[in-house]
Amino acid sequence: MEDFKLLAPLAWRNLWRNPRRTVITLIVVSVGLWSILAVASFITAWAQSSRDATLRLLIAQGQIHAEGYLDNPNINRLMDPPEGALLAALNQPDISNWVVRLELPAVVQSEYKTLPASVVGVVPEDERRISSVPDKLVQGRYLSGPEDDGAVIGLNLAKRLKTALGRRVILMITAEDGWLEERSFDVVGIYDADTAFEDTYIFTGQAAMQEMVGLENKIAQIAFEVPDDTKLDGVVARLQAAAPTLDTRQWRKLSLIMGAMDATMGGVIFVWMGVMMVMISIGVINTQLMAVFERIHEFGLLRALGLKPGHVLALVALESLLLIGLGVLIGMAMGAGTVWGLSDGIDLSAFGKALEAFKTGDVLYLQIQPMDYVIFPLAIWLLGVVVALWPAWRAAKISPVEAMRSAT
Amino acid sequence: MKAIVSCKGVTKVFGKGELAVHALRGIDLDIMEGDFATLAGPSGSGKTTLLNMIGALDHPTEGEVTVDGQSLSGMSKGALSDLRLEKVGFIFQAYNLVPVLSARENVEFVLRLAKVPAAERRARADAALAEVGLQGMESRRPSAMSGGQQQRVAIARALVGRPRVVLADEPTANLDSKTTAELVDLMYRLNQESGITFLIGTHDPRVMDHSKRHIEMEDGQIISDTRS
Repeated sequence: MEDFKLLAPLAWRNLWRNPRRTVITLIVVSVGLWSILAVASFITAWAQSSRDATLRLLIAQGQIHAEGYLDNPNINRLMDPPEGALLAALNQPDISNWVVRLELPAVVQSEYKTLPASVVGVVPEDERRISSVPDKLVQGRYLSGPEDDGAVIGLNLAKRLKTALGRRVILMITAEDGWLEERSFDVVGIYDADTAFEDTYIFTGQAAMQEMVGLENKIAQIAFEVPDDTKLDGVVARLQAAAPTLDTRQWRKLSLIMGAMDATMGGVIFVWMGVMMVMISIGVINTQLMAVFERIHEFGLLRALGLKPGHVLALVALESLLLIGLGVLIGMAMGAGTVWGLSDGIDLSAFGKALEAFKTGDVLYLQIQPMDYVIFPLAIWLLGVVVALWPAWRAAKISPVEAMRSAT
Repeated sequence: MKAIVSCKGVTKVFGKGELAVHALRGIDLDIMEGDFATLAGPSGSGKTTLLNMIGALDHPTEGEVTVDGQSLSGMSKGALSDLRLEKVGFIFQAYNLVPVLSARENVEFVLRLAKVPAAERRARADAALAEVGLQGMESRRPSAMSGGQQQRVAIARALVGRPRVVLADEPTANLDSKTTAELVDLMYRLNQESGITFLIGTHDPRVMDHSKRHIEMEDGQIISDTRS
């Protein structure tokens, strides 16, 4: 402690002997850390937005199907609505919403074209709580109830079919008896999501669809929403235990692309951190070596006066500790300031079509990730001190007689 | 009188083989307690090298140096640092003050290293500065002081730790006549009043005029050692 009191004021004043160099190093460290924190916030927000936007369309946080349905979705691999243990497991407070759907492969036909599609029979009032599709209507209306036999189709599908609101399309689905059942549906609504989704999904009332294919009360999936992602694994395990013969999966297993994105986002942030750290290291080593070489004479003098080699090492290391520490604090303030300044969201709607492939929302909401403000600054601080140990070691090795020689 | 510094057969050779330079050739010398001795000789005679050996800044190639009864042979770097701190005060030609510290802090620095309590440290530093005539200039940084004033700070720093011997290497080389006279008077007064031992390497006749003992060196050897 006594040594710290001796060296700390000296180290602090030494930092400001060359203010320009100190300020440049501070800029390197603080801008480097700021960029890491800002990029981390942006990527996290983007990943979150992209995930939320995708999951809110149809997937939710997880789904339950009959065994084999996901490999080969057809009318022979449906299941009954939840009851008993499964119903109780679904009604736990960690699941905020759940819905049942009947989803089957189909062929949709207009006067001009026939295309493959997937028809989803929904309970509209339940769907409004869990899916964003009802809010994405750009023409017409959403379904009014389970018996509503209107069709809500995607904007791009409407274009491809050359159909429009109020016209009729033919849906052909393999019925329970194995025959291809076809029926005409009024296009009552058109929604605008991403193109791939628009091309695939057609929504109609669940009871109307069940009646069409000759099934009563059969469903293809249960989709459930778990607001706290950290509880998802536990929820899935509970549902699997409640319905061991069914296939319960969380979103990472249902959307492999989203799962892969989720897994690699952290990697992207750490790669960026690595690049920044290399730049910061070069800057710090350069600065500290210059600072040491300029003061060789002085280190010799201090040694001649009785300062021990360990003191010299500690002095130079302390200078780095203070310099990098100050840069880190400024970088943290800049990072937090940037996130705070953009807390109302970054509006990306102008790039809506360009960003559609990324399935992100129109507005990104940056948030301060508390652990980012611990891990990244600490890593940079430690790195800065570690890389400064070499110049410090060089300074500690200086023989005091060199100072005497150069002084006389 | 007791010998504060004792050199026995001290030899220093820089380099090897044909490039070897014999800076010191078997120096035998005792500096007695209370001496005000000057070490003179032409450039390259070995004055600075001998001061470095006595000040524990360098090791002799052969022979032994003893300071206040402690042999420097075989001492670790840390132990040599402690010895310099406790027993030797240095005054250099180029003042060698720490530029980011004030006059008082420069003087206090030695006491901080010696872990002297803060209150005593400050009192001793201020007293040392007053002793060298710098009362009221304690807070000035070296850059705001003249060469003579900086050298006075260096003398105060050399004395404040109450060393057994003060080694000064060309302390007046960068000073004008008036300042030189003042500093020589100061060092002489401190020697007379406090009994501090001084060994001063110098070319300056004004310094030599005050010396009670004059040691002349040439080619790494002592060629004369006279007392007045």
